[in-house]
Amino acid sequence: MTGIAPRNESDGLADVLERVLDKGLVIAGDIQVNLLDIELLTIKIRLLVASVDKAKEMGIDWWEHDPTLSSGERNLVEENERLRRRLGELETASEAEP
Amino acid sequence: MSGSATYLYAVTRPVDGSSVSQLRGIGGAPLRVLEVGELGCVVSTVSLDEFGEEPLQRNLADLGWLARVAREHDAVVQGLAEVTTAVPLRLGAVYVDDGSAAVRVARLRAAARATLDVLDGREEWGVKMYAVQPETEPQTVPADRPSSGLEYLRRRRGELARKTIDARALAEDADAVFEELRSVSVLARRHRPQDPALSGVKRPMLLNAAFLVDRDGRPEFHRAVERLAQARPEGAVVRTGPWPPYSFATLDDA
Repeated sequence: MTGIAPRNESDGLADVLERVLDKGLVIAGDIQVNLLDIELLTIKIRLLVASVDKAKEMGIDWWEHDPTLSSGERNLVEENERLRRRLGELETASEAEP
Repeated sequence: MSGSATYLYAVTRPVDGSSVSQLRGIGGAPLRVLEVGELGCVVSTVSLDEFGEEPLQRNLADLGWLARVAREHDAVVQGLAEVTTAVPLRLGAVYVDDGSAAVRVARLRAAARATLDVLDGREEWGVKMYAVQPETEPQTVPADRPSSGLEYLRRRRGELARKTIDARALAEDADAVFEELRSVSVLARRHRPQDPALSGVKRPMLLNAAFLVDRDGRPEFHRAVERLAQARPEGAVVRTGPWPPYSFATLDDA
C-alpha cells in the first residue's frame, strides 16, 4: 500500500483532533457552532473520511462493520437528541451557579 | 457576512499580556488576555467570514480547514502551558465580542478555579496500545487439507476458540497496562479507540488513555511506560505528549 501519509503526521492529527474537538473545557459560545455540532464532529469526520473514493483508495471497508455508520442517519438523530438533552442539563447547571 | 468575533482558547491563572506576546492565534492573529476576576481568558480576533455560524458549519466539514485550525488552537494552548496553568477550551468557542466572552467565563468562575487547582504543576500524557501480531509465532495452519467435512469443522472451531481467547487476553492486557499507569499518575481517563481511517494506523487499538502526571513525576511515569512497552511486541505501546490537559479540563466530572 503506497500513498498513505507518514504515520507520525496522520497519527498526530488524530491525536490533536481528538483532544481539541472531543475533550477540553466547554463554555457555550454566542455563535452556536453548538456544542452539539462539535460533539457530532467526530462522527462527521468519520463520514467524511468514509467517502467512497477515499475508502476505495485506502482499500478498506470498515464502515460496513461500523454500527454507527451502517445504521445511517437515524443514529445521528438519536445522538443529536441525546446531546441536546445533555446540553440542556449543563446549561441549567451553569445558570444555577452563583 | 463581515465583521469580527472573539475566539477563546483557554482560561488561565492571571497572566501578563506580555508573556503571550510570542504566541500567535488562529490565522496568525495576536493574542489578548481578558481579566475575569482572578482568571485570565486568552483570546484573539477572528473573522465572521470564517467563524460566523454558516461559514463555520461549512468549514467544520472541511478536513483541511479543520486540521489547520485545530493545530493553531493547540499551538496556542501548548504555548500557554509553558508559561502558566491553563484550562484548554474545546475548539469553537466564539463570542460576539470580548465582553460577552468575559460574561460567559465569569459564570463558570468557581468551577474553572477548581479545575486550575487540579491542573497546577501537572501535564497530560497519552498512551495507546495496539494489537500487534508477534512475528515469532507462525500460524499453526496444518499443511494438509482437512480429510473430511467433520475434520474441517473441528479445525475451524479450534481457530475461532483461539481467536476469542486472544481477544480476551489482549483486552485484559490493555486493562492491566491502564491500571499500572494509573497507579503512577494523578488522574487517568480511557478514551474511545481512534478510528483507523483517521489515525492511519490499521492495527486494532486496544487502549487509548490519558494520564495527568505531576511534572516532577514525569521520569517515573516514563519508566513505567517503557517497562510496559519492553514487555510487549514492538510498537504495541505508544506514548504521546506532553499535552495540555485537554482530557482533564471537563467540569462535569467527579
